[in-house]
Amino acid sequence: MPGGGRCPDCGSTELVEDAHYTQSQLVCSDCGCVVTEGVLTTTFSDEGNLREVAYSRSTGENEQVSRSQQRGLRRVRDLCRVLQLPSTFEETAVAYYQKAYQHPGIRAARLQKKEVLVGCCVLITCRQHNWPLTMGTICTLLYADLDMFSGTYMQIVKLLGLDVPSLCLADLVKTYCSSFKLFQASPSLPAKYMEDKEKMLSRTLQLVELADETWLVTGRHPLPVITAAAFLAWQSLQPSARLTCSLARFCKLANVDLPYPASSRLQELLAVLLRMAEQLAWLQVLKLDKRSVVKHISDLLQHRHTLIRKAFREGTLEVEAPEKELQGRGPRQGQGKEEVGNSASELPEGKRPASPALLLPPCMLKPPKRVCPAPPASTVTGDENISDSEIEQYLRTPQEVRDFLRAQAAGQAATSSPNPP
Amino acid sequence: MEREERYLELYLDRCTAQDDLAPPGLPLLSPVAPYDVYIYNSSHPEAVFNPHLEEVKETSGGFSSVDLSFLPDELTQENKDQTVLRSKGEDEENCKTQSPQSKLLLSSQQDVGLGSNSSSSSNSHSRLHPGDADSVQHSPEKPDTLPLGSIAPMTPMAPVSEGSEFVPQLQNIVSTANLACKLDLKKIALHAKNAEYNPKRFAAVIMRIREPRTTALIFSSGKMVCTGAKSEEQSRLAARKYARVVQKLGFPARFLDFKIQNMVGSCDVRFPIRLEGLVLTHQQFSSYEPELFPGLIYRMVKPRIVLLIFVSGKVVLTGKF
Repeated sequence: MPGGGRCPDCGSTELVEDAHYTQSQLVCSDCGCVVTEGVLTTTFSDEGNLREVAYSRSTGENEQVSRSQQRGLRRVRDLCRVLQLPSTFEETAVAYYQKAYQHPGIRAARLQKKEVLVGCCVLITCRQHNWPLTMGTICTLLYADLDMFSGTYMQIVKLLGLDVPSLCLADLVKTYCSSFKLFQASPSLPAKYMEDKEKMLSRTLQLVELADETWLVTGRHPLPVITAAAFLAWQSLQPSARLTCSLARFCKLANVDLPYPASSRLQELLAVLLRMAEQLAWLQVLKLDKRSVVKHISDLLQHRHTLIRKAFREGTLEVEAPEKELQGRGPRQGQGKEEVGNSASELPEGKRPASPALLLPPCMLKPPKRVCPAPPASTVTGDENISDSEIEQYLRTPQEVRDFLRAQAAGQAATSSPNPP
Repeated sequence: MEREERYLELYLDRCTAQDDLAPPGLPLLSPVAPYDVYIYNSSHPEAVFNPHLEEVKETSGGFSSVDLSFLPDELTQENKDQTVLRSKGEDEENCKTQSPQSKLLLSSQQDVGLGSNSSSSSNSHSRLHPGDADSVQHSPEKPDTLPLGSIAPMTPMAPVSEGSEFVPQLQNIVSTANLACKLDLKKIALHAKNAEYNPKRFAAVIMRIREPRTTALIFSSGKMVCTGAKSEEQSRLAARKYARVVQKLGFPARFLDFKIQNMVGSCDVRFPIRLEGLVLTHQQFSSYEPELFPGLIYRMVKPRIVLLIFVSGKVVLTGKF
C-alpha cells in the first residue's frame, strides 16, 4: 500500500484500510494491529499514518450519484488510463457516460451492457479526437463480444445524437505499425528481418492509400488491409531475404495477431500491383507474377498516380467509348467511375486487351452468385375471391386428424418410455 | 436534347426561386449520354426534374422516379393526379416502397421543408413516381471536392416506365390484421396441415400458404402478422386467405384492421459507391462503421426510409409505417 506507513508493532508495510462499524481504520494485515482509528485527536506519531482524503470523497457529490453509475465512471477512468489517453479524453468520456446514464433505458440496462457502455464512451471520445482506437481493441480489453458492443454503440450514438467521425486510416496505420516488434534486434528476430520503422511506416502508408484508391478498403474492416500492406512494405524493403517469409510467420515475428481477411486482402493488393506493373515499360518484359512483383513495389509506388490512371479505365458504353477515350481526363478517370450501364460491364473487360482493366471493388468483379430473375408481373388486386377448394387443401380431413393424433401419441410414448435393457 | 435542356433550365429557375434550400452551387448536369429509354411525356415540364438534384450516375436504364414532394403543393398535386391516373394501368408490381405512402399521404403532403440541410434536400428525395420508385439516386453523389467519387456524366433523367431494370424490387412486406376472436392454437395446429405450433419456443402458430408464398404468425388473441409477400395486394390477399383458413377451422374469424407495417425493397445501381465520401457529405443521415457492417446506413428524413447502401451499388430500402 502506498503511503509508507509501517505498523508500530511488527514493522510490516502491509497496511490495509478497513471499515469497522463504519469507522474506517488502518489495520496491519500481518499482526492485526490497528494503526489509526480515524479519531479526531491523534498523537504526533499517529498522524504520520493518516491518509489523504480525496476531493471526491470529501464533497457530497458522490452521494447524488448512484453506486452503479459511480462504478461505471470509475471504469471509464480506468479504461482511459489503461489506454494511456490524454487527460482531456477522460473528462469527455466521463461526461458522455453521465449523459447516457440520464436515459432510463440505460439506467435499467444489464450490468453487461453498462460495462460495454464504458467502452462505447471511450471509443466515441477517441474518434472525436481522431485517436485511432479500434472496436476490436476495446472489446478485447473489456472481454466483451463485438455483437454486444455494436448494438450498444449504435444505440448510444442515436440516443445522444452524436456525430462520430470515421476512423482515421493514416493514424491507425501509424499506431498499428508501431506495435510491430520488428524494429529492434531480438533473439527471436533474424537480423535480415529487422527493419527501420520510418521506412516501413511510409511505405505501408503509401500502400494503404493505393488500396483505398482501388476500392479495397471501402466497406471492409480497415485492420486486415493494413496488415497486408505492412507485410508487403516489409517484404519489398528487402525482397531477397524476405520473400520466403509468409504472412502468418510475419505476424508471429511481429507479435501481432493475424486477422483472418488479411490474406485475401494481400491477394487483392498484389493483383492491383500486377496490373499497374503492366503499364511500366521496363516491367512489361519481365512477366511478373505475384511473388516477383514485390521486388518492384518501390517503383510502382513511386509512379502510382500515373499507373493507376493508365492501368484502370472506367468501363464505357460502346456508344460513349470513342469520346471518352479521346478526352484526356484527369486522375478522376481511373478511380472508380465505371459507367457501367446497360449491363455491359462484362463486355468491355472481355473485349479489351489486358490493360486497361475496370476499376471496381472486388465484389463487383466477381461473377454474380445467382441471378435473381425479376418476379413476374402480378395482377393481384387483393380483393379477389378465395375459392373453398384452395383453402381446403390446407385442412386435414377427420381421418388425417385421427392418424396424426395417433402418431403423436405413439411418438410421445416412445420418447417417454425407458430404453429397453 | 435541347428540349430537355430547356426544361431543365425552366425547372431550375423555378426551383431557385422557391426553394432556398437548394444551393446555387449544385453541379449542373449536362446531358451526355444518349438515352435510349423512352421519354415519357416530356411535354410535362415537371417530369424532367429528376436529372437535376441528383447526380445520377446511371447512364442507361434510367430511373423513373419523379419525386415532386419538394415542390409547392399545387404543382405536386397536379402531377400526382396525372401520374396516379397513369399508374392505374401500369404494372402495380413496380409500385415500390414509396407508392403506398405517396398515395396515402397525398392529402397530408406537407411541402418541401426537407427540414434538413441543402445537401440532404438534393439527396433525400426518393425520386418518386408512383408506378416506379427508386430512392437510390442520392447515394452515389460525390461532391465536387472529392476526385475519388467521380462526378458522373449527368444524364437527363426522363422518368421511365416499368420494365426498366433499375427500379427497386419489393422483396418483403410485413402486415398485420386482426381476426377479432380468441383462437385455440392447439386446435389450429391439429386441424391445419400447414401450421406448426411449438408453445415452448414461441406462443403463436406459424402458418404458411403457397400462393401467394407467405408465412403468418397467428396469436391466440386473434392478431396475425403476415410476412413474405412481394406486393401490398398480395399481402392483403394472403392475409385474407389465412383468415379464411381460420374461419374454416370453425372460429368466427373476421378480417379487420389490415395494415401494412413494413416494406423492404432492393435495387442495384450498377456502379460502385464511395461510402467514406458519402458519410462525409451526409454526416447527419449516414452511419458507416466498416468495423461493424460493410454497408452504410442512410436514414432519409423525407420520406422516412432507411437505406443500406453497399459499395457494389446494391441498395436495400426499408421503411416502417
